[in-house]
Amino acid sequence: MVGRFVVVVFLGVVVAGCSSGELESREEVLARAQRAVPADPKLAALYATSCKACHTATDAGAPLVQDRAAWEPRWKKGMPTLLKSTVGGLGGMPAGGQCFACSTADFEGLIRFLAGHEG
Amino acid sequence: MVSRRTVLKGAVAVGAGAAATQCTWSEPEPPGPPAQDQAGRLVWRNWSGLQHAYPAKRAAPASEQDLVDLLQDAPAPIRPVGAGHSFTRLVPTDGTLVTLDAMTGLVGHDAASLQATLRAGTRLGDLGPALAAIGQEMPNLPDINKQSLAGALATATHGTGRAFKALHGSVVAFRIATPGAGVLSCDAQHNSALFHAARVGLGAFGVLTQVTLQNAKLARVKKRVEARPLDEVLEAWPDLVAAHRNVEFFALPFTGMAATVTVDETSEPVRPRGPDTDTETLMHLKRLRDWTARVPAFRRWFAQTVLAAGFEPEEAVDEGWKLLSNERPVRFNEIEYHLPLDAQIPALREVVAAIERHRPDVFFPIEARVIDADDAWLSPFHERVSGSIAVHAYYKDDHAFFFELIEPIFRRFEGRPHWGKMHSLKAAELQALYPRFAEARVVRAEVDPAGRMLNEHLRDVFGA
Repeated sequence: MVGRFVVVVFLGVVVAGCSSGELESREEVLARAQRAVPADPKLAALYATSCKACHTATDAGAPLVQDRAAWEPRWKKGMPTLLKSTVGGLGGMPAGGQCFACSTADFEGLIRFLAGHEG
Repeated sequence: MVSRRTVLKGAVAVGAGAAATQCTWSEPEPPGPPAQDQAGRLVWRNWSGLQHAYPAKRAAPASEQDLVDLLQDAPAPIRPVGAGHSFTRLVPTDGTLVTLDAMTGLVGHDAASLQATLRAGTRLGDLGPALAAIGQEMPNLPDINKQSLAGALATATHGTGRAFKALHGSVVAFRIATPGAGVLSCDAQHNSALFHAARVGLGAFGVLTQVTLQNAKLARVKKRVEARPLDEVLEAWPDLVAAHRNVEFFALPFTGMAATVTVDETSEPVRPRGPDTDTETLMHLKRLRDWTARVPAFRRWFAQTVLAAGFEPEEAVDEGWKLLSNERPVRFNEIEYHLPLDAQIPALREVVAAIERHRPDVFFPIEARVIDADDAWLSPFHERVSGSIAVHAYYKDDHAFFFELIEPIFRRFEGRPHWGKMHSLKAAELQALYPRFAEARVVRAEVDPAGRMLNEHLRDVFGA
């Protein structure tokens, strides 16, 4: 039991260390997430009433907007996988990210923005 | 006294053991519907993932006229959606799904009367800072604040506090777009029948476009969370209700413990809330459930042993809108009924006993709240001070026990269901629970004579 506990704690420290990034503090990542807005006005409006509520709040459990450390492993899964998770929901992520006016193209644009691959 | 942090600390030890055999978040997702139907229509699902539909049309009108045009011409059933936080089938439609996401924000306010008019699509989470900027607040807010104002009102979303009515109790006027009568302004003097019928309207009378709220002066409050023995809380509940501005508790099944949450006005300096611990605690309770599946007696023993240690309660001091609602990233399904206040604790004792006797898979806390009576015709709190009991099931877990085990208890105590949470009642049963139900049906038919707002669920509810 003690051995398992040590392993779990160790892994937790490693994971936490990986996800916090080397250059930015969590406060800086959060501040940047809260400032970010999609360049496209239509996406900006959709984002403001849906994704923003959870992806700019640390307690919501969602990866913060443009948090590279959190998004890169997800981005590597590819857009089809991310789109499927977005439309159908996954874990704490509700289906459609609560964007009920979004089209498939809107979802793709918002995923690119959230992941920091908008440009 | 014992705080949630105590639970967390003990549960971490549990988690260390449980993690070796089961990763909490790695269980497979429940099977979901295809992303598109054969016609290529995108799926809509509610927050928990339980309900789904393939609307032929999705619309986000930006004006009342656009909305009226839609209600008259778009494919029916026309169903408004807020944040999708209802667990009942209020929203599913193969016709038109309408969101008010393009109709949000503050319209105007009156500093003397502390009233403010807001567009009905405003999310509750955005409403707090918007009102704070004009020195106002809603002193009663629900546990979750993702909902739209229109959606929260339509389902009688309520919050807690003996002196507070549910959210719709603060509505002094609204504008509503209807399929049959265009846009109508309603208050206690003008279109009063519609005002009383549609203040809690299930989105079945039309779509609210603007709401005027009677708010309170922005206040600083102290929120205090502490863990106590469940029996002690059940005995003290009347005193807690009388003593605190907002008060609720969570009964932790299979532990003999409860967490009380109290909110009271204060002049103490601001102490912002710390990082959320509820989510981690909740998932540790799940791990405890998983770990003790084959030896359930160990569950209570372990929980009470861990919780026997004393720790300081958690406190935060800030403006109410920052403390009353919480992030709830762990999805769930839920049944909630509102009972006569005197029946709340006897019913809760039965609910806890039934769960502990028959459903060892339940780990979510059971939430108990209190709310004042109001006069909206379809309000579950209509002319009755109520005690609420909410039972949750993890979104990956079976929730059939809501209907087999829990709802019969609620019904025996003359409970009325939360409109957005799971229940099995139809028009005949509802008519017996709501003295103004028949009048509400008449008003509904007047503003929507063709039944364009009614999906299958609402036809069951209204007996249409």
